Formats: sequence, C-alpha cells, structure tokens
Amino acid sequence: MFEKVAQKLKEPLMPKCTINGKEIEVKDGTTIMEAFYQKEVPIAHYCYHPGLSIAGVCRLCMVEIEGMPRTQIACNTKITEGMKISNVSDKAKDSVKWALDFHLINHPLDCPICDQAGECGLQEQYMHFGKYEPEMGQGKVKKRKVVDLGERVVLDTERCILCSRCVRFTDEVSKTNELGIFNRGDRSEVGTFQDKPLNNNYSVNTVDICPVGALTAKDFRFKQRVWLLKNRESICTGCSTGCNVNVYFNKGGVYRLKPKYNSDVNGHWMCDKGRDTYKHLNVEARLTKGKKTEEGKTTECDAGELAKQTAQLIEKIKKEGGGDSIGLIVTAQYSNEEYAAMFELFKIKLGSNNVFYWINNQKTFEAFDGLLYRGDKNPNTKGLLRALSKCKFDQTWDKLEEKIKAKQLKIVVVLGPENQEVYPDISEKLKLLNSVDNVVWLTTNQVLGTELLKSCWQIPVKSTIEKSGTYINFKGLEQKIKPVTNIVSGALTLTEAAALFAGDEIPFDSKTPVKGERVWNEFFHHRGDL
Amino acid sequence: MEVKHLTEHYDKDGYATIKGYQKLGGYENLKKALKMKPLDIINEVKASGLRGRGGAGFPTGVKWGFLPNNGEPRYLLCNADEGEPGTYKDRLMMERAPHQLIEGMIISAFAIGSPKSYIYIRGEYFYPKSIVEKALREAYDNGLLGKNILGSGFNHDMDIYSGAGAYICGEETGMISSLEGKKGQPKLKPPFPAIQGYLGKPTIVNNVETLAAVTLVIRDGAAAFRKQGTEKSPGTKLFSLSGNVVKPGNYEVPLGYKLIDLINIEGGGLKPGRKLKAVIPGGSSAKILNKEESEKATLDYECLAQMDTMLGSGAVIVIDDTNCMVDLLGVLMHFYHHESCGQCTPCREGTGWLEKLVNGIKSGQGKLQDIDLIETVARNMCGRTICALSDAAAFPAMSFVLKFRDEFEFFVREGRSKIKGTSYAKMHH
Repeated sequence: MFEKVAQKLKEPLMPKCTINGKEIEVKDGTTIMEAFYQKEVPIAHYCYHPGLSIAGVCRLCMVEIEGMPRTQIACNTKITEGMKISNVSDKAKDSVKWALDFHLINHPLDCPICDQAGECGLQEQYMHFGKYEPEMGQGKVKKRKVVDLGERVVLDTERCILCSRCVRFTDEVSKTNELGIFNRGDRSEVGTFQDKPLNNNYSVNTVDICPVGALTAKDFRFKQRVWLLKNRESICTGCSTGCNVNVYFNKGGVYRLKPKYNSDVNGHWMCDKGRDTYKHLNVEARLTKGKKTEEGKTTECDAGELAKQTAQLIEKIKKEGGGDSIGLIVTAQYSNEEYAAMFELFKIKLGSNNVFYWINNQKTFEAFDGLLYRGDKNPNTKGLLRALSKCKFDQTWDKLEEKIKAKQLKIVVVLGPENQEVYPDISEKLKLLNSVDNVVWLTTNQVLGTELLKSCWQIPVKSTIEKSGTYINFKGLEQKIKPVTNIVSGALTLTEAAALFAGDEIPFDSKTPVKGERVWNEFFHHRGDL
Repeated sequence: MEVKHLTEHYDKDGYATIKGYQKLGGYENLKKALKMKPLDIINEVKASGLRGRGGAGFPTGVKWGFLPNNGEPRYLLCNADEGEPGTYKDRLMMERAPHQLIEGMIISAFAIGSPKSYIYIRGEYFYPKSIVEKALREAYDNGLLGKNILGSGFNHDMDIYSGAGAYICGEETGMISSLEGKKGQPKLKPPFPAIQGYLGKPTIVNNVETLAAVTLVIRDGAAAFRKQGTEKSPGTKLFSLSGNVVKPGNYEVPLGYKLIDLINIEGGGLKPGRKLKAVIPGGSSAKILNKEESEKATLDYECLAQMDTMLGSGAVIVIDDTNCMVDLLGVLMHFYHHESCGQCTPCREGTGWLEKLVNGIKSGQGKLQDIDLIETVARNMCGRTICALSDAAAFPAMSFVLKFRDEFEFFVREGRSKIKGTSYAKMHH
C-alpha cells in the first residue's frame, strides 16, 4: 500500500487541456507551443525555436484561450489544468493575420530574386493566414542590403523580420556572441559589432534557422531553387560525431547539407566544415570510370570489369606467393558492412593477415570544440577498430613499410579515403607504394598522383550518399546510412568489390538505378525545416 | 483645492539638504519604521491603499506581497526614468526633496528586506541626478545608509544609475535590462520582476512618488492617509499640468479632484479668448478626453478607467481650440515611432506605420480610408506585445480618430488643417 502511495507521489502532474477541441495530456510545465509540437498540430511562429531560449517577439504564435480576453503567445504560456486553447478560432486567426501583416509591411517582397523563396516562413504563413490585398500604401523602410557578415554568410537587413534567432544562436549555442540587434524600432538591424566578422565554425546554422531570406549562405545562394531540390537523410562524414543531415540534391548533384534534428547526436545543429563535405561527392570530383595505369599509360574501363581483372591478378599472385603476398590498406571512411566483406575476403578466402590501418591525424583524434566538431576526421573509426580486432588484424604500419621494402607484398589493395582533404599525407603514402608492383586503389574520388605509380588500377567506389550501411560514431552509436541519390552509377560498393575480388559472379549491373532514383525528375513541393 | 502633504515643505530653502530636511521632521519616519516589524509596514502600506504613481496604479503593498520568501537577496529599484510626455513631477520631487525619496526608499527596503537599491534616473535629468547624488552622500555620512542603519541592525546600500535617455527604460523590465547593462528592452513576462527581476533575483520597482508617499503612510498611518482621496484611490497625488493653461506646473491635489477645477483653479484657466477642446489626462499614452468628458472627469483611477482612459502618471495636457488634432497626433506618433524598442513586431512596425499614415494625411496625400486604417492598425497593436508601449501608441491614435474624426476628414478632403488653415500640401510641394 505504501508503495502505491509513493508511486502516486512520484508521478508528475499531468495537466489536461484541449487543443483545437481535442483533449490532450501534457507534462506539468509544458508551454502551449511545446504541446503543439508534441501533438504535431501546426502553429505559426518565427522567433520560437526548440533549440533556443524564448524571445516572444514575433507575436505570430497567438492562440485564443477560453476565458482570456486577449489572445496569448503560445511560446511563453504554460499549460494549466483545463485550459481550452485554439489557434484556429476566428479571433486567433485574426491575431495571426495581423501579426503577419506587421511582418510584411516593410518587407521588400523580393521573392523572385530571394534565395529563401520556397522555404520561407513569410510565404508559408501568408498562404495560410494572409492572401489579402496589402493595406500598406506608404513607403517602406530602407535598410542595408548584401551585408557581408563573414566567410560564409550574407545578410539582407530589409528582408530580416528581427526574430532574433540568429542572435540567440550566437549567444547561446556557439557562444561566440558576434551578432546583435542594433538601433531601435523599425530602424532595428541585425549586425556584428564594429563589423567584426561572423566567422565561427557554426555560422551557417544562423542561415538554417533564419525563417526568411535575411541570412543566406554564400555557398548556396543563387545555385539552385529550393523547390527543384529533394532532400533525404544521411550522416555527415566530416568527423566522428556523425551529425545527422539532410542532403539536398537533384540530378545536377548535391547542393547543400543541412542538420537534421537528433537529440542524441547533434541536436539541431552541425558545423560549417561538415557542410563542405558534400563538395567531394559531386561528379566533378569523382572517379567515374575504372582507370588502369601501367607503365605510364592510362586506359579507362568499366569498374566491374576492372574488379574482375583484379580478381584474376589476386588469384595469380596467391598461387605464386600465397596469401602473405597480398596486402590491404584501410581508412576509417567506409561502412561496417563493407569492412566485414573486405576482411572476410582477406582473412578466409585469401588467407592474408596483411591488413594495415592508415591513420590520418591521430594527434588530434581527441580534440573537441565542446559543441560538435571533433579531431577525428573519419565517420567510422570505431567501426573499423571493432572490425580489425574481431578479425585479429593487428599489424602496425611499420610492418607494412618493412614488408614493402623486403618486396614481400606483390599486390596492395587500398581502401582510399572518401574525403582526401583530411588525409594530407596521401602523397607520402603514394611514394611508399611506388615500390609495390601492383596497387589497386579503391576510391570515390580522383586521386592526384596515382598516375605516378608504376602500376595502379583505380576502381571507383560509391560514396556515403550512394550506399546503405552503418557507421559507428565517437561514442559508439551505430547510425544507418541509406542511398540518397546516385552520382557515379558505375561505381561499386566495397561489398560488391570484395565479392568480385573473390571471383564471385554477383548480379552487378551498372545500369540498375538506386532505389529512389526514379523520382529524380519529379518536382516536389518542398517544406523547409521548422 | 491644492492639499500639500507630500509637497508641504517643497518651497522651503534648504529642504534638499539633510539639515533642512531633518529640521522639518525628516528621517523621523525612518526611525519610527525601523522600530516596526517589516510585515507591519507592508500591512500598513496595504491598508493605506497606496497605488503606484508611475502610471499603472497597482496597489503598492500588494506588489510587495508578491516577493517570494525563499531567502534570496532582493532588490528595490526606484523608477525615476520619468519619460512619459507631459510628466515632470518626479523631477520636482528629486530636485526639492531628495531626502524624502531616500527616506521612503530605506523604509520600503526595510519592509521588504532588501539589502540593495538603485535609483534609476532618466538620462536627461542631469540636474536632479546631481542633487540626489549629493543627498545620497549626506545620507551615508549621517549613518542613514550602509551598515547598521541608526543602530537598528538593518543594512542597506543605495546607488544611482542613469540610462541613456530611452522612453522604454521607464517600463519596469526595460529598466531592469538597462540596469543590468543590456540594451534597454522589456523582458518577457512571466516571470515577473517580483519573482525574477534584476540579475534574476526578486525585485520590486516603484515610482519616485510612490516611495516618497510611503513616508506619509508611516508618519500618519493608513487611516489618516485614506482621509484624502477616494475609496479606491486614496491619498493625494502630484499632477503635472501643461499645455494651454495660464499657470502650468505641478500641483498636489487629492485623488478624485475635478479635472476641470485643476485646470481652472490651480491652472488659472485658459488664456483669454480660448476655448477648451480636449484634455489628455494621464500622460501622452492616455486616451484623450473631449471637452464634455473633461468637464465631467475626476482625477482618480476608477473614474478615468470608466471613461476608457487612465490616470497614468498624472500628466494633464490641456488642449485649446487653436490646436489642430491631426498635427498633435503627428507629434505623438513621431514620439512612439522613435521610442519603440523594436522587439515585438506589432509595435516595431505599427508605430512607424501609424506615423506614416498621419503624416500622409498631414501632407495632403491622405485618403478617407486611411482614417479607418489608423484605427484598425492601432486596434491590432493593443495587447499583443511584451510591454505596453504598443498600447501607449495605439491609445492616442484610436481616441484622436474617434473623437476628432471631423478634423481628420476635413484634412483629407481639403488638404489643409481645419483649425490652422495651413495647407501642408502646398508647403510640401
């Protein structure tokens, strides 16, 4: 009996209320806005952001509460027992309509040339609450345009609705405090102190959370209309944090990455460096065909074909010198499944223990900026280490150098890095490999310098956004990646490559579209985040 | 009739110095208060019915009662950021009787148990500030501030802070932001200052006149304080009379006094040949009263609330028949447009819009629907922002258009002022 009472006392208060006529129960202390979020009832708002403090300034989230003479803001009003809340009543709608009108009277309405068009909060709410003839017949307030805020962000103060999300972001999240709102009244402008630039590693988050076209990313602006882009989830490969991202792409390639909310990993944010990782995924940077360099001559061929030739070569070398003459160099940039396939091939099929871990920047591995950015610039170091220890591959890099010098290795297969920028020692490694007779380099991207090798076959492999698999992040969280789009259709995954190296006939057809590719050409009506 | 309670000795030389003040009974109330229990003081103030003299008219004792009893340090702030157009009573009080304020503050601080208080003086009030500073030094020198005040064991420190001259810093949370060293912008409520105010600690903000009046409550007791004024608006209050009267100035009269008497008796009436047209009874944010309403109105919270306006800060602005209402509204709208802090969208954008609409009419470019639009825009600015500045801008706009519509319509039709005859349109081109 006492247990029951104790349980009862432990139970948190759960006030009941109704939202648009539907009864719900929420935790004590929940604001109306949070309740709308939890129950996924749409509510208009600009200044509220779940990752930031409450500002309560846009006055768009007005709701009618039974018994209260005036409409209230949802973001700063806590739910109490029996509250009857509506954001669809005429009174609430009228409040929102007027709040929106106040936002628009001095807005330049330059949607045709605005990058935000298509994912703009003003456009969206206007379609819900507006659709009226504008009553503002007076001149608009003129403010600064094309203000260069820093390396990555451009500001248009006329488009700005002064929701203060960006200011709160630099105050509360990046804690760099670059931004502020200067001046008063309708002369208020977002700006930086004494034009000190906004150059922190999280600056583009301000662009993401800007509900209008005031802050735009230099990297993305004027590149593509957002309604011509589709987005799918993926994982950022920039470092071992493994931020969840949305990849925005169309048949022209990938245009940008935006953070996707994950409370366990990255919250609402991602870093600027991570946003650059899409660049090496596009076709311009990629290896699109198999490349054979032999005695200074390069010929191109199909990836699958080249893999089959590699299989024959491996078999020949194995017959002559046994498994010990075959080597594998691995980087921590591939998925767990790919390591499993490759390692199985080497351990069981080829009987080789010559697996060497190419570590890029170990000195900074433990570095962390306190928010998201980590020194380990690989998405799957944990996964690789796990796979290596499972297969008991424990040879050090010195051993590799020794074996190359002793001419023990007749062929070396390299699982080259997807992001070569974080492997600054790549040319050094090439020099080392120059004394190996046969080098098979599996890579997503063109590798500069491989033509210097006596003999090098380069096989194009699929990048993070073209394959399925899992990565394990710094804290051991296993995260899934799914095919987002297909950029190099002839490329192999390492799993496929391993099968082909083993001499298996796999149903590999370079023309098979990746699931989801069919919808490329359809224009989706796109809704921006929040 | 003028009743001099607060201002009894204001015209005496040396009253601003501690010697002069003490000679006339100064700091006796403090001695008396320090012997009382703090709760008894709060209850006495509650019983006196003293209402906030800054504008909102909230019962002072009740406000003090909101403080949580959690042992956290609490602050007492004196709002001397007298910015409401037409108001200049606090200036007089600080110039003539700074010790009255300081005494009232120490008593109030003792009652609420506050170890630290600030006087936030309006940025432009250089002279009053210098006088209060001097008085503060005298108070410290005489053991009235600091440790163990008058041997009572009560410690209290007081300081002066000056803003940069923004109207919005007179709003209590705007003032707190400014005092914290931030941009003077009102804070979102809840939490209210009594729970989380200055530096996140419980804070009481009271007007200069309110704090000074606490000395009267202690001196005479709640019952005597209630002898003046009305049931719901007890006591006397200073009114800053300005505009088209013969003798503008600060007058202390009991609440409930007839507005027209204040104008005609204390103010000496209008200039010869002029006729009363309108009165703004409680500072520029109050809705305007026309002639008939002004003649009926009494100066107390309830009567003016009934007439859909407010007592506000007690700034009575008298307008005679030589004034053009379109012109006047233009002045007011310019003020609020200039002073909006820019946080909340309806106020930031609405104040500018209202000014543009009135200026449009004044420049001869107005349309008849603009008059309705002024009313609509103003109505939609009311009650939808963090603080009351938006309402303060909307109230005059709505009431001017409602009560003097003919002047606005005339301006639109004729392109010139009905009163002054000036053609702004011609001036404009």
